[in-house]
Amino acid sequence: MQISPHTGSQLVDLCSALLLLTCFAIVAQRRLSACVDLFALQSAFLVLTAAVVAFLTGNHHIYIAAALTGVIKVVIIPRVLKKVIERLNVKRELVMNVNVPAGLLICGALVMLAFFITQPIIPLGFLLTRDSLAIALAIVLIGFFTMIARQKAVTQLVGFLVMENGLFLGATAATYGMPLIVELGVFFDVLIAALIAGIYTNRLQDAFDNVDTNHLTVLKE
Amino acid sequence: MLNVLWVLLIGYAAGMVLPLYPRQLNTQSLTASICAIVATCAGIALGLLGLIAPEPVTLSIASTVPLLTFAIRLDPLAALFVFTISLVGLAAAIYAVGYVRHFQGRVSVAALGALFNGFLLSMTLVVLADNGLFFLMVWELMSLASYFLVVTEHEKADVRPAGFFYLVMTHVGTAFVVLTYLILFQSAGSFSFDAFRHPEQALPEGMRTLVFLAALIGFGTKAGIVPLHVWLPYAHPAAPSHVSALMSGVMIKTAIYALIRVYFDFLGGQFPWWWGFVVLLAGTLSAILGVMYALMEHDLKRLLAFHSVENIGIILLGIGAGMIFHTYGLNEFAALGLLAGLYHTINHAMFKALLFLGAGSLLYATHTRNMEEYGGLLRRMPWTGLFFLIGAVSISALPPTNGFVSEWLVFQTLFLSFQLPALFLKLMLPIAAALLALTGVLALACFAKAFGISFLALPRSAHARHAEEVPVAMRIGMGILALLCVGLGLAPMIVVPLLDRITAPLTGVSITDKVLALDGWAVAPGDVQFSSISPPMLAAMLILGGLLGLLLAFLFGGRLMTRSYKTWGCGINLSPRMEYTATGFVQPIKRVFSTIYQPTIKLETEFLQKSRYFAKQRKFEFHIEPVFEKYLYDPVIHIFMRIADRLRILQAGSLHLYLAYIFVTLVILLLFAV
Repeated sequence: MQISPHTGSQLVDLCSALLLLTCFAIVAQRRLSACVDLFALQSAFLVLTAAVVAFLTGNHHIYIAAALTGVIKVVIIPRVLKKVIERLNVKRELVMNVNVPAGLLICGALVMLAFFITQPIIPLGFLLTRDSLAIALAIVLIGFFTMIARQKAVTQLVGFLVMENGLFLGATAATYGMPLIVELGVFFDVLIAALIAGIYTNRLQDAFDNVDTNHLTVLKE
Repeated sequence: MLNVLWVLLIGYAAGMVLPLYPRQLNTQSLTASICAIVATCAGIALGLLGLIAPEPVTLSIASTVPLLTFAIRLDPLAALFVFTISLVGLAAAIYAVGYVRHFQGRVSVAALGALFNGFLLSMTLVVLADNGLFFLMVWELMSLASYFLVVTEHEKADVRPAGFFYLVMTHVGTAFVVLTYLILFQSAGSFSFDAFRHPEQALPEGMRTLVFLAALIGFGTKAGIVPLHVWLPYAHPAAPSHVSALMSGVMIKTAIYALIRVYFDFLGGQFPWWWGFVVLLAGTLSAILGVMYALMEHDLKRLLAFHSVENIGIILLGIGAGMIFHTYGLNEFAALGLLAGLYHTINHAMFKALLFLGAGSLLYATHTRNMEEYGGLLRRMPWTGLFFLIGAVSISALPPTNGFVSEWLVFQTLFLSFQLPALFLKLMLPIAAALLALTGVLALACFAKAFGISFLALPRSAHARHAEEVPVAMRIGMGILALLCVGLGLAPMIVVPLLDRITAPLTGVSITDKVLALDGWAVAPGDVQFSSISPPMLAAMLILGGLLGLLLAFLFGGRLMTRSYKTWGCGINLSPRMEYTATGFVQPIKRVFSTIYQPTIKLETEFLQKSRYFAKQRKFEFHIEPVFEKYLYDPVIHIFMRIADRLRILQAGSLHLYLAYIFVTLVILLLFAV
């Protein structure tokens, strides 16, 4: 089956846009388990994007990366996080540093910022994935923003993982993915980070009976 | 000769890794010591070969980092320090076999052994380095290794601040050292020492002065020149004693090495006269204040640390006088000053290391550093006592030991100032000599106290009563150094020609023939008629005099009778409480110099209720003012703390706020990028 470059480019853009959409959903979602589900969904879209890129370009190593993403980010990490949430018995984010409507507005501004920043770069590219770069940057910024806006350790971890998804998309968009060995290293890091953060959340619970990272303020001298 | 160098490098490298493997604690420390012994033996050979080699040996390994080459150059100056470091290292390594036992179970013996080897290696490389960047690397390694050694007993509350203080001071010093090398680099265009020696364009006069001052402050911090000495009395006592021996004996000497390297080798040429005068002043101040504060100490290791300040001062007196003579073209005298300084450098390394090992033995046997709890140890620890006595005689500059010869040479250098054309210096150098004489007297008083209170009379505490002689390995370590203390004093005819090989290239004249008179049996500062002594003859006379005395006593003293009696104490039994205390011993000196000590004395007496004529309890407290800390360091620390307090607003402790800082920075940078 042959797909014209134009159509291919549109396909990739579509998938990236779906990723971005889930980002907004995460920002808007108060329930923790739903946040994790949305992250799993986003990762699934990421797998789809990567697979499309792999198919269109014929770079087979992207398939491997996509498969690993599927295993780790769609299955393992969400399961770990769910377990943590279950154990902690924290259902929803009650107090936020930035409320939902304001958060959504800021995220909209961040997307504009991302497009504004990448505007001079994108026309220089010649890959069919080039438009995704702006979206990837937007996802990274939104992930970062989530970490700042939320107080529960679990949502912060989700924010971190969203950032990582954005980076993965960016790498795929800019260079058709990083070398496989780098990719593997990054996956390993993310997995470890998720595990460590899981333990850290448990510890936080034990120490403060809460997973609110605001309690860490008292650790300061 | 390169083979020997490789043995040394591999020995230390093995010593840094191998101790970490064995399970048994004894094996760990033994492995570390064996590796260090092999490497230090190679170092001793390397030093001797380097001292007699006609040409400097070089070795260079290129690196991928720009401007950095791992260059090594063994010239006589470096060789002397390699020799000294290795010799003290050898004694310390043997000593450690026994000494480390009392750390077992409390701290990681493996880490201690590995760091010990790393410390020795970095010191050796500091004096061998022939590239500025490489030098700075190993200099930093040396500082870090010694820091970790200082905090070996980190579970003790007073060790951690001591380590931190040392870390801060040494890095302040390193900042100035970096400055020195950067200025030199600017004119040389390369970090190789050869380029420093022969720069593309000569340094302007202002820059030369800056190099002089930056080097004096930077290396002076490490050497412990007053007022940069404040870290010594904290860090040296905190470290394990065999490490203190290395730090005090040789680490601070690497700074002396670097000073000579920078002043005479890199800057060369003519100095302004005030350079030498500043060094001389720093030396005088360090010598006199070092010994004065040492006198007031009752912690044996702190006392020794202050004596290091004193002896660094004496070394600088020699070097400073040498610099002054160099300015006025009196190169023979300049060489004599340098030679005296270097001689004292080796000597101090030997006797100070010996004394620290001795202090370590007392600590090992009694578990305390407080002299007031010693007493009567000579009978219980005769070997340690003998070695400590040799060290004490040596540091007090009494014949026939090595301290006497080198200090005498420093004196002679200062007396030669009548040859100087400048009236001001003609006056100042004899004053420095007078102060040096005072220093010597006070040092003698100090060690009369240190030895007398610790070893003589009755034990003052249960610790001292139950003390036992230390293991053989520790005695061997001390014995080596004690032999060297005497040997170096008796054999100036061997030492002086070797030192002359160092000073001759730096000052342009060889003075062996002038300094050694009567086929080497006498030492004279340039002119036998002016003054001269013969250390071997002095020693012989001391022994003969003693024998003569015995003979006379035997001939005219009547019959020898032995009676075993208690010492007469006016009818009461003598107890340790009647003994002189260390505090009491130095009271007269404290009174005389109260302007310097600014002592605070507190006497609280609790009387019996019935009569004010009978005291129930008396409490006596006395402190001396740490003048430099109070008036120089505290204000600076205070300013920094205030700035830090202001900056703390930024550090709210909130994770979100920190993330927001990063986020805002990122967004702003991205906007700038567009």
